[in-house]
Amino acid sequence: MKKLFAAIDVGSYELSMKIFEFGKKSGVKEIDCVRHRIDIGNDTFHTGLISPRKMDELCDILSGFSKVMESYKVTDYLAYGTSAIRETVNTSILLDQIEERTGIKVSVLSNSEQRFLEYKGAALRSDFDDHIKQGAAFLDIGGGSSQITLFSEGHLVTTVNLHLGTLRIRSKIRDIEPVYSDQELLIGEIVSNELDYFKELYLNDLKVYNIIIIDDYLSAIMTQVSSRPDGHILSRSYKEIMKALSVKTTYQIAERLFIPEENASLLIPSAIIVDKVISITGATDLYMPGVSLADGIAYDYADKKNYIRSGHDFTDDILSSANNIAERYGAFDSITKKMVSSALAIFDATKTLHGMTDRERLLLEISAILRNSGKYVSMSMPAEVTYSIILNSEIIGISHQERKIIGTVAKYSYPNNISYEAFDIYNFSEKEQIIAAKLTAILRVATGIAKNVDKTIDTIKAAVKERELIIKVTADDKMLLEKGLFSERCDTFEEIFGITPVLRVIKK
Amino acid sequence: MLRSAKLRDPKYYINRELSWMQFDERILEEARDNSIPLFERLKFLSITASNLDEFFMIRIASLKDMKNARYKGVDIAGMTVDEQLQELSRVTHDFVNEQYSTFSRMLLPRLADEGIRFIKHHEELNDKEKAFVDEYFKDNVYPVLTPMAVDSSRPFPLVRNKSLNIGALVRTEENDIEFAMVQVPSVLPRIIELPVQEDGIKPVILLEEIIERNIGGLFLSYNVICANPFRVMRNADFIIDEEEASDLLAEIEKQLKKRQRGEAIRLECESGIDKRLLGILERELKIKDQDIYYINGPLDLTFLMKMYALEGFDHLKEKPYIPQFPKYMNPEDSIFDQIKDHDILLYHPYESFTPVVRFIQEAATDKDTLAIKQTLYRVSGNSPIIKALALAAENGKQVTVLVELKARFDEENNILWAKMLEKAGCHVIYGLKGLKTHSKITLVVRREEEGLRRYVHLGTGNYNDSTAKLYTDIGFLTCLDPYGEDATAVFNMLSGYSEPAMWNKLSIAPLWLKDRFLYLINREAEHARNGREAHLVAKMNSLCDQDIIEALYAASCDGVKIDLIVRGICSLRAGIKGVSENITVRSIVGTYLEHARIFWFLNERKEEIYCASADWMPRNLQKRVEILFPVENPKLVEDLKHILRVQLQDNTKARVMQSDGTYKRLTPGRAEPVGAQRTFMKEALDNAKGDEDTRNNRVFVPEEKK
Repeated sequence: MKKLFAAIDVGSYELSMKIFEFGKKSGVKEIDCVRHRIDIGNDTFHTGLISPRKMDELCDILSGFSKVMESYKVTDYLAYGTSAIRETVNTSILLDQIEERTGIKVSVLSNSEQRFLEYKGAALRSDFDDHIKQGAAFLDIGGGSSQITLFSEGHLVTTVNLHLGTLRIRSKIRDIEPVYSDQELLIGEIVSNELDYFKELYLNDLKVYNIIIIDDYLSAIMTQVSSRPDGHILSRSYKEIMKALSVKTTYQIAERLFIPEENASLLIPSAIIVDKVISITGATDLYMPGVSLADGIAYDYADKKNYIRSGHDFTDDILSSANNIAERYGAFDSITKKMVSSALAIFDATKTLHGMTDRERLLLEISAILRNSGKYVSMSMPAEVTYSIILNSEIIGISHQERKIIGTVAKYSYPNNISYEAFDIYNFSEKEQIIAAKLTAILRVATGIAKNVDKTIDTIKAAVKERELIIKVTADDKMLLEKGLFSERCDTFEEIFGITPVLRVIKK
Repeated sequence: MLRSAKLRDPKYYINRELSWMQFDERILEEARDNSIPLFERLKFLSITASNLDEFFMIRIASLKDMKNARYKGVDIAGMTVDEQLQELSRVTHDFVNEQYSTFSRMLLPRLADEGIRFIKHHEELNDKEKAFVDEYFKDNVYPVLTPMAVDSSRPFPLVRNKSLNIGALVRTEENDIEFAMVQVPSVLPRIIELPVQEDGIKPVILLEEIIERNIGGLFLSYNVICANPFRVMRNADFIIDEEEASDLLAEIEKQLKKRQRGEAIRLECESGIDKRLLGILERELKIKDQDIYYINGPLDLTFLMKMYALEGFDHLKEKPYIPQFPKYMNPEDSIFDQIKDHDILLYHPYESFTPVVRFIQEAATDKDTLAIKQTLYRVSGNSPIIKALALAAENGKQVTVLVELKARFDEENNILWAKMLEKAGCHVIYGLKGLKTHSKITLVVRREEEGLRRYVHLGTGNYNDSTAKLYTDIGFLTCLDPYGEDATAVFNMLSGYSEPAMWNKLSIAPLWLKDRFLYLINREAEHARNGREAHLVAKMNSLCDQDIIEALYAASCDGVKIDLIVRGICSLRAGIKGVSENITVRSIVGTYLEHARIFWFLNERKEEIYCASADWMPRNLQKRVEILFPVENPKLVEDLKHILRVQLQDNTKARVMQSDGTYKRLTPGRAEPVGAQRTFMKEALDNAKGDEDTRNNRVFVPEEKK
């Protein structure tokens, strides 16, 4: 028997659930989709609370979902709330209430986790990598913000979160109360203002041929209007459709496309964002795979449980975007590279001591990559700035909590900066605190090895021998300075792991 | 004039009520047709009567409502409400006269020829017979009668809708004249057989005559001056105020009680009724002259259906046809396996409805079935489908049933079994606010080795095993994924979830269907404009949606050949130069009620064919949940095209609309006579016989010794 799985998305203006069937051969197949429009975002964005009436409706629908799950004999499910739930002031009480009343356990996704799942939903489709072979942009349009991820030659270049969301734009426009003929112009201006910066700062000379689009309304319409049902559409045809719609009122558009007027009013900002992104990138092809958060949840689950073999390398995305951030801040140099290999060598050598997994290894690697970014802004207080840069850069595939760990590790890898209380103040769980401390200890040692741009290190090997961690470095220099100052970087490591790092240099 | 304005000109449209009357006239023609077995003619006459009753209760009533509300608009044919009521009064009076002349002048003499003596008045009884009916009255009738007299202290009694009553004037001991009445009990047979005469002739008499003869015994202390039967029809169409009714069920129960007391819209009485008696009825029922029908014969001809059931006259009836086992199925294998193997088309009643019932029964006990979902509009009294659904719920299947409570006249029945289903553990949805769920769809979800599989039944007729023997309908069984996905989405919508982002195969009213039809018609017109051959054939029950008709007119002007097979109302006028010269309209009236809706479009030889639960009527396209589904399997497409082709060839039961809007019955002349229904019966029999042969051939037969 194949496995049935339900993915529930408690969104800001819609509750939806998709039922999926997983098979080793057939992959992920959508079986059912139920949706219910409920504007809980309006409540929480204004008051931070969900009104009792909305709460009743929410629980009624979720109970209905649970009946649908029952009817398919679904055994596993994941339910996620997004920004509307995230922005409640009493989130944990609310989630507890929902679970008590409906039996459904809802977790909260941070923006980056949500985007990553959506991205994953698209990227795990078999043809995704074909679409990013050449330059491509992945555009995820949400209610409050949108995210653009750029790809070059199959590798992720950068991810940027823009303050351009359908709901946000619509409410801005409603404040201005323009006449219909001006509406499109105004939206265009809002979108352009934001995108022009993006173009200047991130797009540079990157050639974008393909735009992969995820949104709630446009994709469904376009697949119907365009001649190709598989979600592909030429930018040229898109512009024509846009032209045909441009002089119409929301009501006319709703009537023409045969959709509820509410959808039409959210569709217009979406359509304009896409239009402007085409203009600034010059992309010739569009692809709307019609992926929703629920798809992402399912693909992520199927991937983790090995129901699908992913062709796409998500770790590569993460590292590639970390490298790009480092490069942006002039930190993509040999010191950083040395630091990365040292840190990883130490991590690998001390596995039995720290017991951490590949995921933490990845966090360490990113911390090392980004550790020197802060120097771009301030040579005197790089630690603080590095932390800020990390916390404010999108790295797709890294959760918010993980990003905080990375930032903390990078920050406290600077000398004279550490105190244990430090790990306490970031709202870390106990487990996260320990991870942050361990990784910091490792990175601090690694920074002791990589200090000079000019020195070439060939190999770095680390091994634990009795009460010592022996780090053997083959270099073109005796590395006297590093050796001399090495011990001051090892205090934390010794405290945590109970062994002493020793640096041994072999000069070629 | 702009083409669109021209094509909307009222003179190109026929009023729907008058068109409906034409339909009832076509049925009456059958009753008058000498070539049809006598008892079948009785049945047709009975049908015209019950049809007319319903027409009054729904359509005339709704016109009266509009009149009361001082509605000033005009209909599609430019007629005001008053004009329509006036014209209908004239037409219905003529029609009733025609009904009774058919009965008295054509059918009664023929019945007499066949040895049936229909006793019109109790005065014609002989002494022996008088004794017999008096005995019958004493034993069977008297105990269930409730005579009522009216005087100043008692209000005028409630005259129940459609009930047959005997009104009387009685003289009291104080020499006052008062009104009295007694209802002819509907629990007793209306037609009573008397002992066969010595010459073998069978006398029959109607119940009201027996009561009339004994009326003196009902009002003992009075002297009966006169007694005449009468019948009242009341407004039965009601609009449920769903905004206010928190509980739809309660509201319908309430309305049902009220229905008995609706406004009187028709009074039928014997033509020789006492003037004083009539005066009282007119006053008390507040009925106008034009709504009174003086009947020269027995009131309420629906008793003829009972007469049809008289034993010993099989030679005067059509040989009964038994629905055959469907050609695409076999009785041995699991229905699910058969559907998995190939899509199945069913053509009822030529082919049996049993497989559809079995489909649900099998799902109810099948271990792999997870869920059954079904829409129910009208079901039969002792429905095996309801039983199977209840059983499925008891077996732990998830059963969702949408029960349409707003199905005309059937509410009482529906509420009853809806409650029963709920008790059995089914999830019952009591219709949608503001919409009637008219679609016929069933979804069975099974968890199979290869994954989840959805089995879908879509139909043009109700899930009613009794009417499936009388109505011609198409059923379609498939487990193709696109249909399964759409069916799932339909039930999600019916359960209150949002509309799906897109449909694979189905088009759903009230949201998408009309646009879809207009698109299909306009596409054909575009082909014609591009100089391509363009043709569409549509079969349905009624056609009166103005937008659709206008699109058809426009398509005709562009050169699309349009053949319409419309059983009942047709507001479109065929064959008008410059408007509809490429359109033909025909209506087929036969033994079975034509009920299937089939739509075929040539589409530049990439032909498409659809079936639907909807007619081209505003109510279907805008006020109901309906489903249009394509049939794509080439074999089944050929079958559906064959049905249309044979119906277009029918030259015995088909009537073709003339450009003046009247219908002319076709005759074969020198051509080969073709009767569509007869052809389909024969084909189904041949198919079933063929099956049997192949089955038998599997037995090895030893060669006989030479």
